[in-house]
Amino acid sequence: MDLFLQALINGILLGGFYALMGMGQNIIFGVMKIVNFCHGEMLMVGMYLTFLLYTFVGIDPYLALPLVALMMFGLGALIQHTLITPSLKTKSFTNLLFLTVGLGLLLSNGALVLFGSDYKSIRTSYSQTTLQLGLVSIALPKLISFCVLIVVTIVLFIFLKNTTTGKQIRAVSQNPVGAEVCGINVKRIYLLTYGLGIALAGMAGCLLTQFYSIFPTAGAGFGFRALIVVVVGGLGSIPGAFFAGILLGLLEQMSALFISPSYSDMIVFITFIVILVARQLIIMRRR
Amino acid sequence: MLKVSKLNAGYGSVNILWDIDLELNDGEIVAVLGSNGAGKTTMVRAITGMIRPTSGSVIFNGEELAGKSSRTILNSGIVQVPEGRQLFTEMTVLENLEMGAFSKETKEHFRENLKKCYKWFPKLEEREKQAAGTLSGGEQQMVAVARALIGMPKLLILDEPSLGLAPNIVDDILLVAKTLVKETNISVLLVEQDITKALATADRGYVVENGHIALSGSASELAANEHVKKAYLGI
Repeated sequence: MDLFLQALINGILLGGFYALMGMGQNIIFGVMKIVNFCHGEMLMVGMYLTFLLYTFVGIDPYLALPLVALMMFGLGALIQHTLITPSLKTKSFTNLLFLTVGLGLLLSNGALVLFGSDYKSIRTSYSQTTLQLGLVSIALPKLISFCVLIVVTIVLFIFLKNTTTGKQIRAVSQNPVGAEVCGINVKRIYLLTYGLGIALAGMAGCLLTQFYSIFPTAGAGFGFRALIVVVVGGLGSIPGAFFAGILLGLLEQMSALFISPSYSDMIVFITFIVILVARQLIIMRRR
Repeated sequence: MLKVSKLNAGYGSVNILWDIDLELNDGEIVAVLGSNGAGKTTMVRAITGMIRPTSGSVIFNGEELAGKSSRTILNSGIVQVPEGRQLFTEMTVLENLEMGAFSKETKEHFRENLKKCYKWFPKLEEREKQAAGTLSGGEQQMVAVARALIGMPKLLILDEPSLGLAPNIVDDILLVAKTLVKETNISVLLVEQDITKALATADRGYVVENGHIALSGSASELAANEHVKKAYLGI
């Protein structure tokens, strides 16, 4: 029972990261209709940025969060402006696919050249602190990260729902022609959206650093899971992405507990395929 | 107020509009008529800057607009109700209307303009909080017109307002357009396939065929024209 509770808590805490990654991927896909295949690598970049800020400047990972978010936003906006906008003009999905896949390879190999392949980690005074809640123990950094994740999710939700820019982002994602008719600066929205999506991935990376090793391919698994979150949670839905992320985390932890940790990746992807097929069958039956 | 001369435009290397000449005076409703594929929507897109004309000029209140961005043209006072409405279907009616306020000026006047729109289309006030996609076709067209009016147009372009709507709803929309022109200082460019209704509403009209202006004249002249009768009215 206590093992089950422990897996439940861990699943929710881990799922928060998948949710954050999924939300970033979701708004990028929703607005520009491109799948950002370097999303996981952006998480890894966020991790290294946090590592550098901690090691050389001595900034606590949680205090570094806004800084990392800002830098990642800038990186995203720069990539959008110099690489994606020109490629969008070709209207070729294949171009953008290769572009983002290539960027991902460039980033992970760049990290390999700069930092080597050995695992790095950040150890703060509180990284090993755990809280004992009845039968389960929770690592303090995980709990703090999860709380931050929830705040970020709520802020993002309110931003998209209530601010003018947020509404413009939704407008472009629902109808780009209508948006242009209304005089919305679609290019500016693309810039903001890609920056925002990348900033979310970077934030996930930053929050992960205290209990996850930092290495050049650290983001790959998270990148793939972000795609699952988008598909399962539904396009354009922040709450959908959030709950899909949590469910995915739970699924992974539960299969690790009840079957075997080494099969959890496989089980996640098999479940994903089953959901896709089942959804297709339901849609076909309705027609 | 609007003078289009020798306008050419198309997509890629395909030219669709050939030397279009068109004029619209203050307080007028001018119809652009033609069948499907004649180039009417391309003309709207070229005038509003959504595609860049290859040559020719579009002068609006003394200002050359050909080649300007769609945002600049919008700011000069030409607002369109696009073909197929192009609403934000998952956003509420009110949010759709908010998106119509693009400039500082239109944002400042949003509340009073919203009140006016609700006076024109009382149904929209009832459905303010409803997602636009859940509305009927006629109500969606009202949202599209209201969204354009929030942008405080001097020239309102209605692109195929009749598309997919019941005849009595089209009458309602066209009546609003007529009243707008009479009571405010808005002019209307009415692009339509439904030629009977368009000529009943407009002061003057142009007939577009294969990307050329084939005919022009007052609404009554066009309605009496043998070619128009034969080709479009089936008389």
